Amino acid sequence: MKFDTIIIGGGLAGLTAGIDLSRKGQRCLIVSSGQSALHFFSGSLELCSLDEDPFKAISSLGEDHPYTKIGYDNIIRYSEAVQPWFKEVGIDFVGEHGKNHWRITPLGGFKRAWLTLDEYANIPSDGTMPWKKVALLNIDGFLDFHTSYIAAGLAERGVETMVKGISMPELDRLRENPTEMRSTNIAKTFAGDLIGALAARINEYAKDVDAVLMPAVVGLTGSTDVHRLKEMVVRPLHFLPTLPPSVPGIRIQMMLKNRFQKLGGTYMLGDSVVSGEFENGRLKSICTNNHGAVKFEADNFILATGNFFSKGLTSTVDGVREPIFGLDVDSLEVRAEWYRRNMFEAQPYMNFGVSTDGCLRAMKDRKPVENLYAAGSVLSGCNSLKEGSGAGVAIISALHVSESILKK
Amino acid sequence: MKEYDVIIVGGGITGAGTARDCAMRGLKTLLIERHDLTAGATGRNHGLLHSGARYAVTDQESAEECIRENMTLRKIARHCVEETDGLFITLPEDDLAFQETFIASCLKAGIRAEAIDPAEAIRLEPSVNKSLIGAVRVPDGAVDPFRLTVANVFDAQLHGADLLTYHEVTSIVKENGRVVGVEVMDAHTKTRKTFRSRIVINAGGIWGHHIAELAGATVNMFPAKGALLIFGHRVNNMVINRCRKPADADILVPGDTICLIGTTSSRLPYDQIDDMKVTPEEVDLLLREGAKLAPELADTRILRAYAGVRPLVAADNDPSGRSISRGIVCLDHETRDGIPGFITITGGKLMTYRLMAEWATDLACKKLGVDKKCQTAEICLPGSEEDARTDRKTAKTYGLGAKAAEGRHGTRSADILVADKKDESLVCECEGVSVAEVNYAIETLQSKNILNLRRRTRLGMGTCQGELCACRAAGLLAKANGCARRSVEDLAAFMNERWKGMFPVAWGETLAEAQFTSWIYEGVCGLDSFVKKEEE
Repeated sequence: MKFDTIIIGGGLAGLTAGIDLSRKGQRCLIVSSGQSALHFFSGSLELCSLDEDPFKAISSLGEDHPYTKIGYDNIIRYSEAVQPWFKEVGIDFVGEHGKNHWRITPLGGFKRAWLTLDEYANIPSDGTMPWKKVALLNIDGFLDFHTSYIAAGLAERGVETMVKGISMPELDRLRENPTEMRSTNIAKTFAGDLIGALAARINEYAKDVDAVLMPAVVGLTGSTDVHRLKEMVVRPLHFLPTLPPSVPGIRIQMMLKNRFQKLGGTYMLGDSVVSGEFENGRLKSICTNNHGAVKFEADNFILATGNFFSKGLTSTVDGVREPIFGLDVDSLEVRAEWYRRNMFEAQPYMNFGVSTDGCLRAMKDRKPVENLYAAGSVLSGCNSLKEGSGAGVAIISALHVSESILKK
Repeated sequence: MKEYDVIIVGGGITGAGTARDCAMRGLKTLLIERHDLTAGATGRNHGLLHSGARYAVTDQESAEECIRENMTLRKIARHCVEETDGLFITLPEDDLAFQETFIASCLKAGIRAEAIDPAEAIRLEPSVNKSLIGAVRVPDGAVDPFRLTVANVFDAQLHGADLLTYHEVTSIVKENGRVVGVEVMDAHTKTRKTFRSRIVINAGGIWGHHIAELAGATVNMFPAKGALLIFGHRVNNMVINRCRKPADADILVPGDTICLIGTTSSRLPYDQIDDMKVTPEEVDLLLREGAKLAPELADTRILRAYAGVRPLVAADNDPSGRSISRGIVCLDHETRDGIPGFITITGGKLMTYRLMAEWATDLACKKLGVDKKCQTAEICLPGSEEDARTDRKTAKTYGLGAKAAEGRHGTRSADILVADKKDESLVCECEGVSVAEVNYAIETLQSKNILNLRRRTRLGMGTCQGELCACRAAGLLAKANGCARRSVEDLAAFMNERWKGMFPVAWGETLAEAQFTSWIYEGVCGLDSFVKKEEE
């Protein structure tokens, strides 16, 4: 089977590239194992959080950083397209292009964010709290969201909270099984006809407050229920992130996938690439786990398989590998140097990834593979956790790689 | 101020056992621990219910003590013990002739030891190295040191003893040369308090060296570090040892959902006993030797690496620390150093804690003129009693967590209150710890932080190493103690402590899991901004 571009990995980077290329007329295949970093999405995209001005922060990164390879002007251009691009898919983000704002974390902390889902709470960059008094709600028995942390964080910033628990008989079914009270299962329950009843329960506590905050447990399969709920609640309703799985993250992954398929893309879910055939410095075809000897050919390939936790990189006691093609990897040889003893220090292993040239083409045996690009967290040279650049690197590198392919 | 008969310093298994014995003999008892129960060597060992076979050839006395206590623990601490039996295997590189000496020595010490056919050994324990040329079956087993310690302290409290954790002894109070109490510092409030007693028993393990110094006595402790690895699942069901002279990394012990290989043995400077690191060389050695016992270990995920310090009393100049007897040392400092009112109980090992406690308590009773017999070998620990109670607070109807909790708390699991379905919800899915069990551990077993909860319930000890459960537990603690900020700081400290055990073995799945955990806790939750400068 022959495609224009085959994308390995169905997370944010892979889907972004797939949609962008399909929109511009390419015939694409995405091979996805299923889960991705979107499953613990915080509700916000980060571009670079090292400074209030994300672009100022980006301009100070080192030369091996993917952003530096992509180039400042390109990043400005791509980033301007992100918000409208998501809007087209049906996902509304808010935020200022040149200024990070704050989001509220599940522990009641504040983290910089670039764009935040419009149904989520967000705090302006100067830190002014938009409310004096809020109702902070949780679902009774839901352990992955703790109002006491959030209330403490809000109190430190002068916001009074009224904490209430919501219990609805429809959730009793979930309580029958001790592992069922999780975000996605609640969201499956809080849908369709039940939204009205949920809004009525919320409104009991919404009278004397400026806003209502609750965990993001609505809208697993689409935004409609979220919008309906917001309309029915008498005060502004904002979601806060829960512990994983992330309900909006799963929704976004699904909406991106649907968009990709609508544009004519082929999405192979639950499959993984096992090998590739190289010829004259090019990747010619790949084989997948589910399709045995069938060869999938393409003019270009994008590796968007993620970092260690997505298995885009693997490691053994002896070293780090890119498991599909055995591509060159930037890492450290001595195992003891991979780590710092304090978990919260920058861990050197976080910077490990596939080596690329200036055009983000993957290196194999110290030579770039002419038609194999890397995008997202499989790239070496950045610690997205510390920089607050995970989503940004995924989206920007995907758009850059897509542009490079189209320019050929 | 309450005047105690006995103050025991050290919340490891020895101190816990001594507190129980003292309290059962009617002494007014206070147990003081500077961190949490089991925070020292007790929480950092193999969890091996020694049959004594390992010592039979080199140290008959220890072997005899072991097998006696082994049989006693099976009776009084049923819920802390797994009767797995053990194999001592001979590999082609070992001398098969040693087996005969080994069996003879075991039998002499009263340890059942029976040579079995290698094929039979493989049938009994399929994970064992198939190239074995000989095997001996002995009554080894597994013991949970956390559970055992908590049960002892719990029983001491039921007999009227008081417990102070997170209180460090800063000086031993003396009057006219006689020890009359201790001064402690509260680790949380940083305030000092004095407690008076007629006897002070030093049960500080390796840290007892320092406690003795405070009293003006010298006990030469010999810190020998032993490193171990925990694997992500239970590869073996029987303990596997090598049938040869004791060496490094030659014991594989199953325990709950995991198994443990250990240990190494190396000299450690005394100033490093609070900050032990497992080196890459130790990890490699443990893996290499472990795979000889059960080859599957080479491909099994490693959850963590850790090290404990053997509290040996220096007897000779052996640099390895292995030929030193594991024998019990009970020092009467009145006769030894002219310091009345002060006793040190040390040496020994987890297996002989009860006997150590008995010796120390006998001595204390003698000094106090109390004529009461030790009953700790006959009366079962809470959780291991016959289950004939009629005062059950709840019907045992609750879900998944119930069975797991019963395994952990024995008959006391009946005290785990389940008011409604919410209480059955699982906090820790790997180990089946429910909301109700967490609340029980907070209210009844003095759990003040997540680390305490881990030691009381196994929360966060499973394959994910606290990925989501730690945060859930922190939330329940915040609710219980009413301080959200403190519980988040506690969460940060707990996750960092988990990482310290993970990074020495962080490759493969363990590295992937660690990275995921960092993304959740730091990326999504922003836990890094809550790290407190000063940690336990």
